[in-house]
Amino acid sequence: MNSLVRFEPKTVTEVAESIRDAATRGRVLRLRGAGTWMDVGHAVQADAELSLGAFTGITSYRPEDLTLSAGAGTTLAELEAATRVHGQWCPLFPWGDDRGTVGATIATGTAGPFAAQLGRPSTLALGVECVDGTGRVIAAGARVVKNVAGFDLTRAVTGSWGTLAVITQVHLRLRSQPAVDETWALAATESTDATVRAFADGPFAPLGCERVSAPDARELGLGAARWLVRIGGNATLVAAARGAIRALGVAYEVDARTWNAIRQRGAPAARATLWRWDSLSSRLRERFDPARVLNRGLLGEVA
Amino acid sequence: MNTLAPLQRARAGLDSCVHCGFCLPACPTYLALEDENDSPRGRLLLMGALLDGSVNPDDPAVRRHLDQCLGCRGCETACPSGVPYGQLLEATRESLVTHRPLPLVARLVLRLFATEWALRSVLAIARLIRWSGIAALLARLLPARLAMPFAMLASSARPAPASYDARGDGARGTVSLLTGCVMEGLFTDVNRATERTLTVNGWKMRVTADQRCCGALHAHAGDAVMARALARANIAAFERSGAEVVVLNSAGCGAMCREYGHLLADDSAWADRATAFGAKVRDVHQLLASAGPAVRAGADERHPRLGTPVATRVAYDAPCHLQHAQRIVDAPLAVLQAVSGINLVPLADSDQCCGSAGIFNLLLPDVAERVLAPKLSRIVESGAEIVATGNPGCLMQIGGGLCLSGSAVTTRHPVELLDETYARAERPR
Amino acid sequence: MTSLAAQLGRIVGDAHVIARATQLLVYRSDALPGLQRAPARAVFPGTRDELIEVVRVLAAAGAPFVSRGAGTGLSGGALADDITLLGLHRLKRILALDPIARTATVEPGVVNAALTRAGAPHRLHYAPDPSSQTACTIGGNIAENAGGPHCLKYGVTLDHAIRATVVLPSGEVVILDRGDVARDDGTQGGYDLLGAFVGSEGCFGVVVDVTVRLTPDPERVCTLLADFTRVRDAADATSRIIAAGIMPAALELMDQPTIEAVESSVYAAGYPRDAAAVLLIEVDGAAAGLDDDVWAVERLCRAAGARTVRVAHDAAERARLWLGRKKAFGAMGRVAPHLVVQDAVVPRSMLAELLDDIAAIGDRHRVRICNVFHAGDGNLHPNIPYNAHNADESARVHAAMTEIMTRCIAAGGTITGEHGVGLDKLPYMEQLFTADTLDAMCSLRAVFDPERRANPGKVVPVRACREWHGVASTRHGARAGETR
Repeated sequence: MNSLVRFEPKTVTEVAESIRDAATRGRVLRLRGAGTWMDVGHAVQADAELSLGAFTGITSYRPEDLTLSAGAGTTLAELEAATRVHGQWCPLFPWGDDRGTVGATIATGTAGPFAAQLGRPSTLALGVECVDGTGRVIAAGARVVKNVAGFDLTRAVTGSWGTLAVITQVHLRLRSQPAVDETWALAATESTDATVRAFADGPFAPLGCERVSAPDARELGLGAARWLVRIGGNATLVAAARGAIRALGVAYEVDARTWNAIRQRGAPAARATLWRWDSLSSRLRERFDPARVLNRGLLGEVA
Repeated sequence: MNTLAPLQRARAGLDSCVHCGFCLPACPTYLALEDENDSPRGRLLLMGALLDGSVNPDDPAVRRHLDQCLGCRGCETACPSGVPYGQLLEATRESLVTHRPLPLVARLVLRLFATEWALRSVLAIARLIRWSGIAALLARLLPARLAMPFAMLASSARPAPASYDARGDGARGTVSLLTGCVMEGLFTDVNRATERTLTVNGWKMRVTADQRCCGALHAHAGDAVMARALARANIAAFERSGAEVVVLNSAGCGAMCREYGHLLADDSAWADRATAFGAKVRDVHQLLASAGPAVRAGADERHPRLGTPVATRVAYDAPCHLQHAQRIVDAPLAVLQAVSGINLVPLADSDQCCGSAGIFNLLLPDVAERVLAPKLSRIVESGAEIVATGNPGCLMQIGGGLCLSGSAVTTRHPVELLDETYARAERPR
Repeated sequence: MTSLAAQLGRIVGDAHVIARATQLLVYRSDALPGLQRAPARAVFPGTRDELIEVVRVLAAAGAPFVSRGAGTGLSGGALADDITLLGLHRLKRILALDPIARTATVEPGVVNAALTRAGAPHRLHYAPDPSSQTACTIGGNIAENAGGPHCLKYGVTLDHAIRATVVLPSGEVVILDRGDVARDDGTQGGYDLLGAFVGSEGCFGVVVDVTVRLTPDPERVCTLLADFTRVRDAADATSRIIAAGIMPAALELMDQPTIEAVESSVYAAGYPRDAAAVLLIEVDGAAAGLDDDVWAVERLCRAAGARTVRVAHDAAERARLWLGRKKAFGAMGRVAPHLVVQDAVVPRSMLAELLDDIAAIGDRHRVRICNVFHAGDGNLHPNIPYNAHNADESARVHAAMTEIMTRCIAAGGTITGEHGVGLDKLPYMEQLFTADTLDAMCSLRAVFDPERRANPGKVVPVRACREWHGVASTRHGARAGETR
């Protein structure tokens, strides 16, 4: 696979040209960001690789708007660093790690442990610039947090695993970091699971609340912990939430970086292998990539 | 001659509609008939179309949609731009009767209400039918559609009237009751209860002779000529009796009396007198609530020993012409809360019309029945044993509907319940 | 062959088909009466099966149609130009409400506020709350991806939609979801077809039923009213609050002309009439720590120059403050007989500048602009009350609106945040999107409605679709084969 021809277009126009060229020649392109997802899904019988390596960097960031635009190839780590200095988060935090690119996170629709509170990729993507399988250069959405102008191409492309279009740039919604942010390991018996879930759904709205398996807990130095809980908000709220966690079992505060390890462990990628191919989905693919240039076979579509 | 002149004069009211549609869920006929032509927004549009000539006043469909309005004015409460819907509707109907007379039944009923001796006789016969049990019997035996009028009549029967010696200091002023046609004819006991409870609460009652029907039925149906004649008679009668306050216990009549000024606005000889009359009008609940009905205070001060409180579940249903036309919302609840032992249960959609609407239920029984159906369901769901409401039409429409559906729930006027508490308090254990 | 109206009447009953012109008058417009189109007929199915059958009969006849909920839309989206109007208001049953899973499945005609009422006994509510929530339908909300004040914190309609059963214009019935759920057939992934469908303005198909998320009522709610002597200061306060990391449930701005209209209406909320602008701010969530946020908001407002900051002390006062806001648009009916309502979004940081520009545009065209909008989202609603019978004034209003929209686009904003494109904003689409993007939108539509029979002529200008360019509009093609 590594011997594949690799295109690394520098501009959107070049992306469109590569795609049109591939379509004409009946070639299949394998899309590549940081390459962290290449083993997920069905096998792609690709003729060449299309790398987004040139589309890196933050193209627009206005902290007071809580929005950011970045090239698809920008890593999450870069976004994390850029937003942190303004007390903000790029709230994607997907399963996997921050070496991955923002383009791939949106393209695969990969959520993470904080998605329920901070938003899923499908909520956080305010817009995308992309090139579809016919070479159309699409600029969908805008750098505003609310937008219903036109049919929602952003939603269609987000989570489509690059089978409709190649994302070159994304516009994202950011979040302010909470004033206090604590992560707690909670050792509790199985019998309290329902209570913990009720806490997770309750008014304290913890940022994350994940079950940790016993082997994982041991490996991460969490001892007998069964849950990892992240709470954020103002000091009074967090103090009250802390009390509520302690009431659930033996709890102790741990480093927030524990979540990075958790994210790497949980990487549910079954979506790509267990894809629903109904008539609408097939028609969608057909309309945007009739020659099946992009990631052909990745989602197991019947040829 | 422009036969649409009354509507033309009211045109400015039409212009304030911004077409937002907030009135739709507030309209009982829209909810029941599910066509926007039967909604306030639709009817306002038809009124505008009548004026600009894009629909013909003789168009039967247009007339039907305008006729099918209950005139409950629930839309006025929901309207953010303050469209005077009730006035527009009456102006429209007044305009349309010049094109085509009202149906025979309507004309007969309206004539009846304007003819004192005939009305008295008919009401006396009705009381006889009710007293003899024939009404209840026919309500049971006849098919539903025909049985409804008898069920309504049967439901107007009151339990044995409370009797006690109502005393008060009369310090709050002198009031005179506009007794009303149906109230005095079929709900006599409610009128007496009204007088007693007002007396207990410090008003001095004065009788006004030569009263007539208030004219509400006529105005709503478009017979403005007759409505104005009746209004003039009432204004003159109450001027003669010198009452400071005109009190009513019928929401529909009260709403009409308040609007005498509007009704007679173009009559230079009467306009000012009509406005002055309207300003004196009060609903009985308003007066009682403003006094803080005596039972709670009285329980401590005047009536140390209450009669045995009866724990009864009571639901309040707001008459449209109290809630929407007069915007009196809390006073009836205050009166009910003063009733000893009562358990007020919430009634969903209590601000929605029951379908009575004057003589509407006689003219369009189909529509009235469809509007009533959800009301009866909500009452059953509320678990109430008694539905309290301050308007004769609603008392009978809901009462008749409950009777026909085999329900044991009864309808009472809030004042009746207060009166009973007072009576019990007079009879120490 | 029988007429289409008669065929439809056989399905839904003749009482629920309208073909008389005088009875179709009321169906000529939505809540933007400046735009009117006369439908050829209207049909109101009363059950799911009737709805599907109606769509199939329309498909067999090749007849285009427009879906309509309560007609409270503000973009002329539900207008049927001499074609069939499909009214969904009779489909108003709440089919299921699961308080444990916090979901409800409803028919498209269920009124937004009715769903919240149904959730109330379980301390749940339906979060998207457009100002028309007492009247608008969930089906219409889905079509428009409706927003509302509380969408600042809780998200728009799409964020609360889980699954929808949809009848496509072909008559095919499909189930749409967000593409990230485990399904009965064992699949777990898929395209975000529901995401594409929500907000498609009735051009993709008709909702048969939709499952939505219900949101727990917050433990505590606190509503503040801050008043300012300069509109700019109110916009500045907005930025400060958001920048401070506080996420209010809602953050609404009303300017002086709007305050005046509201205070003159039955919904007078006690807004100070002499203020240049007020901010209505709601903070909600866990009881613990809420006061800290309230104090912070109060401090930030004062720092931005607020004259007074009032905290609503009870539910009744809170309700009154909100009622004024929610009825503001209707209350403008008192100012003049007609009203244009706009809906643009700009980056929040540009609000103050944009408001100055809008005021200048208003002055230049001598029109009275009332601003009432979701400041926290940067979602502007400049509204202009006017008299449409006055041709000169109408022209000035139109010119001012066009200029405002162009200004918002130049600021990197968008032409609609929650009202939809419909007919009203069609002219701006080519200003906002490239030809390729518009063509891609046409392709997305073609996935659901290749014959483009559902709400034809809306959202994307027909000429922007290369595939359809030059082809005679379906409407005329279809009508040729149709007997009335």
